[in-house]
Amino acid sequence: MSLFLHYLSLPYLVSGIWFTIEVTALGLAGGLILGLVLAAMQLSRFWLLAAFARGYTVIFRGTPLILQMVFAYDALPQVGLKLSAIGAAGLALAANEAPFIAEMLRAGVLGVDRGQVLAGQALGMTPSLLMRRIIAPQAIRTMIPAFGNETVSALKNSSLASVISVQELTLRSTQLASSTFDFFSIFFASGLIYLLLTTGVSLVQLVVERALDLDRPTTPNRFARWLPWYRAPLVVGPVVGEPVVATDEPPDNGIPYTAKDAKVSRADRTKRSVTLTRNNIAVEVNGLYKAYTNQPVLAGVDLTVRMGEVVALLGPSGSGKSTLLRCINHLEGWDAGTVKVGGRRMGFREDGKPLSPRAIAEERASVGVGMVFQQFNLFGHLTALENVAGPLRWVHGVSRGDAERRARELLERVGLSHRADALPRHLSGGQQQRVAIARAIAPNPSVLLLDEPTSALDPELVNEVLEVIRRLAVEDGLTMIISTHQLRFADEVADRVVFLSGGSIIEEGPAHEVLTSPRNPITARFLRVMEADKPTGAPA
Amino acid sequence: MPEWFSTETPTRRTSSMLAGLLGALLIAGICAPISASAAPAGCAALQAKYPAWKGKTLVNAINPHTPGYEAIDPKDPDKYVGFDIDLGEQIGECLGFKLTYKAVTFAALLTTLSSGQADIVISDIYATEERAKAADFVTYSKVFDGVLVAKGNPKKITGINTSLCGAAAAENTGYVEVPLVQDLAPKCKAEGKPEPTIQLYDNNANCIQAILAGRADTYVNDVNTVDQAVKANPDKLEKAIAVTIPYSVGIAVPKDKPEFRDAIMAALVEVQKAGIHKELLKKWDLDPNNFKEPDILSVK
Repeated sequence: MSLFLHYLSLPYLVSGIWFTIEVTALGLAGGLILGLVLAAMQLSRFWLLAAFARGYTVIFRGTPLILQMVFAYDALPQVGLKLSAIGAAGLALAANEAPFIAEMLRAGVLGVDRGQVLAGQALGMTPSLLMRRIIAPQAIRTMIPAFGNETVSALKNSSLASVISVQELTLRSTQLASSTFDFFSIFFASGLIYLLLTTGVSLVQLVVERALDLDRPTTPNRFARWLPWYRAPLVVGPVVGEPVVATDEPPDNGIPYTAKDAKVSRADRTKRSVTLTRNNIAVEVNGLYKAYTNQPVLAGVDLTVRMGEVVALLGPSGSGKSTLLRCINHLEGWDAGTVKVGGRRMGFREDGKPLSPRAIAEERASVGVGMVFQQFNLFGHLTALENVAGPLRWVHGVSRGDAERRARELLERVGLSHRADALPRHLSGGQQQRVAIARAIAPNPSVLLLDEPTSALDPELVNEVLEVIRRLAVEDGLTMIISTHQLRFADEVADRVVFLSGGSIIEEGPAHEVLTSPRNPITARFLRVMEADKPTGAPA
Repeated sequence: MPEWFSTETPTRRTSSMLAGLLGALLIAGICAPISASAAPAGCAALQAKYPAWKGKTLVNAINPHTPGYEAIDPKDPDKYVGFDIDLGEQIGECLGFKLTYKAVTFAALLTTLSSGQADIVISDIYATEERAKAADFVTYSKVFDGVLVAKGNPKKITGINTSLCGAAAAENTGYVEVPLVQDLAPKCKAEGKPEPTIQLYDNNANCIQAILAGRADTYVNDVNTVDQAVKANPDKLEKAIAVTIPYSVGIAVPKDKPEFRDAIMAALVEVQKAGIHKELLKKWDLDPNNFKEPDILSVK
C-alpha cells in the first residue's frame, strides 16, 4: 500500500500525465479538424470527394492504431517528414480518430430532422447558413455523449504512443517496473491515474450536456448567481418603446373560427374574380413534368396564379400536390417545363444553366416564396420568437431589434404572444403550425405555399389554424396556394380550386362551382368520399 | 531499493573524474570545455580527426528495461543509468558529443535508428548477421546468457537444449534467443517430444512476470539480467545455468555513416585503453569476462 501511494505521487509518473494529455489533445483536436473535413466531403454533392473520404475511412478505421503510430514515427521520415515523437503520436492518433469523429458528425447532421432543413431552405437559407444556424446547434447537442466516449477512448489509446518513445504514463510505468520490479504497485498506481483522467472527462461531458440542455430553466443563471457582481434581477418590465403585451388576452385556442366570410354573396365572388384576372401574374407554371424512375409524379402541369389569388389544390394523396408546391419554390428539381415566380424563372440563370444551391437559396429569399409544411418543421432548438425572428436576421439582414418587434407582432396576430419564449416541443400542434405560418409570412413573401397545413393536426386544433390562414387571405390579400383536404375551408377561402389526379390537372375553376357541381367524374367521386366536409348547396 | 543498485565504492579514477567534472561545471561559465580534464589522452587527436560530432548532442535509442545495462534510476526516474549508459557517455566525451535518450521497445531499436529518429543505439543489443542488414555494429562485449526458471527448476531445464522440449519460454520480441529456441523444434520432434512454445513480450519485466505468474517455464537472456531478477525475487526464481551464446553485444550505427562508425570504434579503443571499460564492468557488477576488444560487423 505504501509503495502504491509512493508511486501514485511520484513526480516521474505524475509528469507522465502531461505527455498523455498532450498526445490526447493533439489527437482529438487534429481528429476534429480532419473529421470535419471528412464529414463535409462525405456529405458533399461531389461524388469524387465522397469517394476519397470513404477510402480514407476504410484505411484508417481498418488498421490498428499501433501500426499507424509506428508508420508516422518511422516511415514518414523516409519521405522527409520527421516529426517529434509527440508530434508523430498526435498525428497518428488524429488520423485514427478522424474517421470515427467524422461518422459522429455525419450521424449528428443526418439526425437533424429533414423537415427543418427543408423549412430552412424554403426560408431562403444558404447551405452554410443552414449548417451554422439550424443543423450544427442541434447536431452538437446530440453528439456530446459520443464525443465524451471518443475522448475517453483517445485518452486510453494515447498509451500506444509508448511504442514510439513518447514518455507518457504507460511507458513510464513499464520503465519504472523494469528497474524496480514493483510491477503491481506501479500498474495499480498508473491505472488509478488513468481512471481519474477519464472520470474528469465524464464530468466535463455531464457539465456540457447540462449547459446545452434546452429544457434547463435559463433564469436565474445557476452559475452566475455565485459570481460577486451578480445582482438579482428586478421585476421584469416591458421592453422600453414597446407596448405592454396584454397578459389577459384570450388564452390559446382563443381564435374562434368564424364562418361569416363563407356567406360572401355570389355577386361579390364574381366581382372579386374579375378584379383578380386584371392583376399581375404571381406564379406561372408551364408544362411541368417530373418522374421518379419513369413513374410520372407531375405529368405536364400548367398553372397560373394571379396576385392576391387564393388557389386550393385538391386531390387524393399521391396526386402530386406536394410535389407541385415544392417545385414552385424549387425545393425539388424537375425534368421538364418552367416555373416562373414574379416573372422570374426559378432555379436557372439567365443563360439557362442551373443555379447552385446557394444561388437558389438567395433567389428564394429575394423572390419571396414562403412555405408552410404539413409537419410544421419548426426549428427545434429555437423558441417560437426566434423561429420567426432568426431567419429575418440571418437571411434578410434585419436588425435584432426590428426582427424581434416584427416577430412579436406576428405572434400576436396568430394569438401566441404569450408563448413567445416556448420551445416548439412545448407547443401543441396547432400552436406550432401558427408559429410556422408567422415564420413564413415574416419576410413579406409575395406568394405563400401551404402544404396540407392542417393534415397533421388533431381535429379540435384544425380550426385555429384555418382561421389564421383565412385572415391572411381576407385581411392581407396574400397570394396563396394551399393543398388541403378541407373542402369547406377551400370553398370559403379559395377563389379557385385546382383538382389534381395522377400528376395532371383534371379540373379547375371557381371554388364554389367545382366543389358543388364537379364535371369530371374523378372529382365527383373524390368529393363524394369527402362528403362529410362537402359544402352543401349554394351559400345565400 | 533493489540490492544490485548499491554498487561498490567508485574507483579512484571515477571519483577523480567526478571531481574534475564538478570543478569544470563550476567554472564552465568562464572557460574551456568540460571534457578536457577527464577524457583519455588520445581523444584530443580523435576530435581533431572526426570534428563532425564535436559539440553535438546525439540521440541514443535504448530499451531501458535491463537493469545494470540501461534502466531508469529508481532514485531519480528522470535519469537513465547502467553500464551501456556510462560507456556511451564515455565514448561521447571522447569525441566531444553529448547524448540524450529515446526509450523504445526492443524490436523498435533498429527501425528508430534507420528512420533517423536516433543517431546511435547502445542498448545491450546482440550483433547478428541478420540485424547487421539494418545497421552497422561496433561490438564491445561477449555474451553469456542465464536460464531463468521458477524456484526449484520444476521442469529440470538445463540450457538451450532438448530439456526445453514441451516447455514454454518467455522471450522479448526480436531477441536472438527466439530463433535459438525455435531451432530446437526438429530435435524435440526427433526425440518424440513436444516442441517448445515461445511467448513474446515487450520487455524484461513482462518476461519475468510471465514466470512469476506461472505462464512460462523459462526466460533465457543475458546472465546479468537473469541474476538481477533472481536477486529481486529470491524466493520465487532461480538461475538454472549460464550458457555461452555465439554473439557479441554491439553499438549500432546507421549503415550510411561509415565515418561515424569508425569514429565510435576509435573512441571505444581509447576508452578501453584508458581502462575505463573494465572499470565500468566492475562498477555495474558485471562479469569482467564480458570484456571484448571492438570489431566491426557490417554486411551489405
